[in-house]
Amino acid sequence: MTVNNQPPSVSGPGKFQDNTDLVLRVLLFWHGIFAIGALAGTLMLWRGESTIAMWLKIIYSGALVISAVLSVIAIPAIARRKHAGRVISLILNYLGFLLCFFGGLHYLGVFTGIDALGATFANGLPYFGLAFVGYLIGAFGDRYEDRQPAFAKNIKRGAKYIGIIGGILFLIAVGIIPGTLSLLSKLSSFRSIILLAGTIIFALMTWLMWREPTRVAMNAKSKDQLMLDGYLFLSPNFIGFLFFFAGPLLFSLYISFTDSDAFGNANWIGLENYQEIFDLTMAPLDSPEQLAKEVIDIEVYDELTRFQFFSKNYVIGAVDQLFWISLGNTIKFVILAVPLSVIPALMLATVLNSKVPGMKVYRAIYFIPSVAAVVGVAMIWRWLYNSTVGYLNYFISGFVEFVNKIAGTPLLTDPQIGWTSDTKVALLAVAIMAAWQWMGFNTVLFLAGLQNIPGVLYEAATVDGANNWQQFWNVTLPTLAPTTFFVLTTTTINAMQIFDQVFVFTRPPGGPGTSTTTIVLYLYRQGFQNFRQGYASALAWVLFLLIFGLTLFQYMRQRSGDEAI
Amino acid sequence: MKQKRVLLLLSLLMVASLVFSAYGLTAAQEEEVVLRWRTRPDNQEEADVYQSISDSLELEGITLEYEPGGSETASYQDVLKTELASGTAPDVFWIPGTDVADFATRGLILDMRAMADATEGYSDDAFYPGPMFHLTFNPETGNTGEALWGLPRDVSTFALYINLDLLAEAGVDDPRELEANGEWTWDAFMEVAEAVSALGDDVQGYGGSAWWGPYGVWMNAAGGGFFTEDRSACALDTPEALEGLQFAQDLYASGAAVPYGEDPEPPFRSGNLGMFQNGRWATPGIRTVEFEWDVVGLPTGPAGNPGNWLFWGAYVVNANTPYPEAAWELVQALTTAEVQGIVAELGANIPSRVSEEALDAFLSFTPPANNQAFLDGLANSPTAEGPLWAGSWPDFGAVMDTAVSSLLTGETTVEEFGATVCDEANKAFP
Repeated sequence: MTVNNQPPSVSGPGKFQDNTDLVLRVLLFWHGIFAIGALAGTLMLWRGESTIAMWLKIIYSGALVISAVLSVIAIPAIARRKHAGRVISLILNYLGFLLCFFGGLHYLGVFTGIDALGATFANGLPYFGLAFVGYLIGAFGDRYEDRQPAFAKNIKRGAKYIGIIGGILFLIAVGIIPGTLSLLSKLSSFRSIILLAGTIIFALMTWLMWREPTRVAMNAKSKDQLMLDGYLFLSPNFIGFLFFFAGPLLFSLYISFTDSDAFGNANWIGLENYQEIFDLTMAPLDSPEQLAKEVIDIEVYDELTRFQFFSKNYVIGAVDQLFWISLGNTIKFVILAVPLSVIPALMLATVLNSKVPGMKVYRAIYFIPSVAAVVGVAMIWRWLYNSTVGYLNYFISGFVEFVNKIAGTPLLTDPQIGWTSDTKVALLAVAIMAAWQWMGFNTVLFLAGLQNIPGVLYEAATVDGANNWQQFWNVTLPTLAPTTFFVLTTTTINAMQIFDQVFVFTRPPGGPGTSTTTIVLYLYRQGFQNFRQGYASALAWVLFLLIFGLTLFQYMRQRSGDEAI
Repeated sequence: MKQKRVLLLLSLLMVASLVFSAYGLTAAQEEEVVLRWRTRPDNQEEADVYQSISDSLELEGITLEYEPGGSETASYQDVLKTELASGTAPDVFWIPGTDVADFATRGLILDMRAMADATEGYSDDAFYPGPMFHLTFNPETGNTGEALWGLPRDVSTFALYINLDLLAEAGVDDPRELEANGEWTWDAFMEVAEAVSALGDDVQGYGGSAWWGPYGVWMNAAGGGFFTEDRSACALDTPEALEGLQFAQDLYASGAAVPYGEDPEPPFRSGNLGMFQNGRWATPGIRTVEFEWDVVGLPTGPAGNPGNWLFWGAYVVNANTPYPEAAWELVQALTTAEVQGIVAELGANIPSRVSEEALDAFLSFTPPANNQAFLDGLANSPTAEGPLWAGSWPDFGAVMDTAVSSLLTGETTVEEFGATVCDEANKAFP
């Protein structure tokens, strides 16, 4: 058989040509086998009884068919020495290698074992220390390399042996011997053999196509190789992104069209989840006090709100009342928390931008809340907010007492605010806590923006007679617009997704009543407490669309503002 | 170049070796029976006790690995459900009584009836009947006694932790004496609470946490409850239940109670609260306060009893465990009178076995001096918490908690509550 109608040669470049021709023939043969195998695998998936879920079967079949088609396309491309054939071959073999390698590790239980390795790692630490000591001794020997080379050589030799002995003892201590023996015994199973064979074959095929003689034979140009090198470096991140982010994201979209409870029970129900979220009804009331169940079907709808319009009373019912309540709470939280965390951050950044001594310390101090753990922060604030023994009410009471004493008459009444028990105030309490935590990070962002403003602008403004406030309003704010946009957008997104603070701070989470129940908390409750993963996924996608819409709106406003300038 | 290759080779060898070592650990686990078990301790002392129990249990051919569960950021049950969905849950774990139905009907926990019947010396009657009613319920036939979903780890009841110093300062009668004389009623309770709260603006007479346990007590004591007798519909709007809630609303409206929703534990620990309603599990933490304290039973309500709860949770077995017999053996070992006695030493909860020996052991661990108050709670026909076999407890609880919270904070009246609550709450039932 010849490739590209070139007969094999026997010497010099010809011999090179022989080897490459042989390699390419092997690759062609391999792709033929691969295509047949992929199609056979597809047929086997659909024949007979299988416990694999339908959606998984569809995905596996799709992947196998696509692989088979690509493999078939690669065959003539490789035969004609077109670089596209090399690219296809490399992609298929590289992905095949990764699949077999990691699949093999998974079936052998290595990932679970790595989790357990942490428990035994401590056993090997002393020997690891010994290996490290060897390294240090070697580094010590380097100092004598010029003055006493023989001494340095002996030191380094000794260090090398100490390091090697330490390394070997470390591996023995963490169980390499029983591990290797167990692994070898497990490799005798059919599945392990297939995966091992697959790993080796795919790796070999990848190497055969990647090596330089093949690259030359396939007419690869420099830019082609640069492209492949680039994708190779990108591949771990990209494949990880697909498997651990994009994949689960798309899976959640699929789940949102089912009634999945996450325990294997999932039936396709189409848009029912979304319908349940948005199903509303409205009916007129004879009087403001009339019960909702007299005008709407209370077995389907819960009363959401009632209102008056042109002297007529109406009631709105919702199938999922709590979704609308949580949406309202989330919007209220955004309105409270975003200004509370952005405006003071800007003020603070302006102050910290000054060259007063000690400002660097203050910058660090103000950043600390951003990196503090939510649990600790929530616990501290819960004590601060306690209506009977908390410091906040203590200081408020003290202030009221002070004012009344000065006035000589009870001018003010001690409000004794129920920060965590009053439904009208609880969300504000969470917003204050969240704003306090986010302010530091926003301050750092604004500070970076402020330091990029050219000083000449302020000099010119001073020359023109502008005072501090005018300079701030007419120079600082406009030039800080891109930073402000970024801070506003990211803070708004964080606020729309608020969960940690509410979950840890409020007891029960989302209380009192439903006053601090946010959308993410609600969907978490639906998914993990009510066993409704499908519905929770639908809620998550609705939230995504809301955040996307809001961010798009902010972006369009920012763009129109830029264009106006 | 050569050195680079050597270093690369060594690095690859190191990684491969660690992988082999890691494999060895799982292989070793597969060869012997290793059972992972989990419970939810309320504090580090409790976690230490369970760890020591796990270390000391000698089950032939079985290695135990104890995992204390739950944290401030991760609800115990939520983490457990996630692990069950992903297939990485422990072999044996504890769940609260209210969750048994959800786990059982979804096939997440094992029915151990067959193994129990084949075990010599085992009897359902060794445990309190309240929990066992639910743990032996067969949802397919609707009969009790036909299944066995788990064994109760322990039981607990409510009592009132009382600040004796504050009560003395308020000049009120000792509630323990009132109880002994049969005079510890709702009226007497209200008098004590109001007298204590009159001591100052930052002092309150009573505090209870914001969940169904504390407010449910008042409903039970008035002869009402959450559900109908067959637990298939809402009963929050019965006159008895509403009477109990009216009393609770009046209590909070009087100003003698820590506002509903506020955490009452900080004011109690700082000596500003006269009576703190909580379960036996709070005792280890309360032992650190710096004033004289004790406990007293709940006051008797219009129905003639205090309306206490019987709280319980059970050790259950993962339905996908590869070692069901070993897991059953572990569940039995964890609920022997001996082990329960060790846990009772902590004073956190009451043994779930009907055993004088276990109760005597429980009584001996003081403070509080009046441990008997918790046992009296067991004796006075408590309402056993339990799952909803015919509906969804999370859905029902969410509606009930929201409506009651609105009531106890004065946002709605009892009449409005009664007129609307069951319309929503009944949606939790099919």
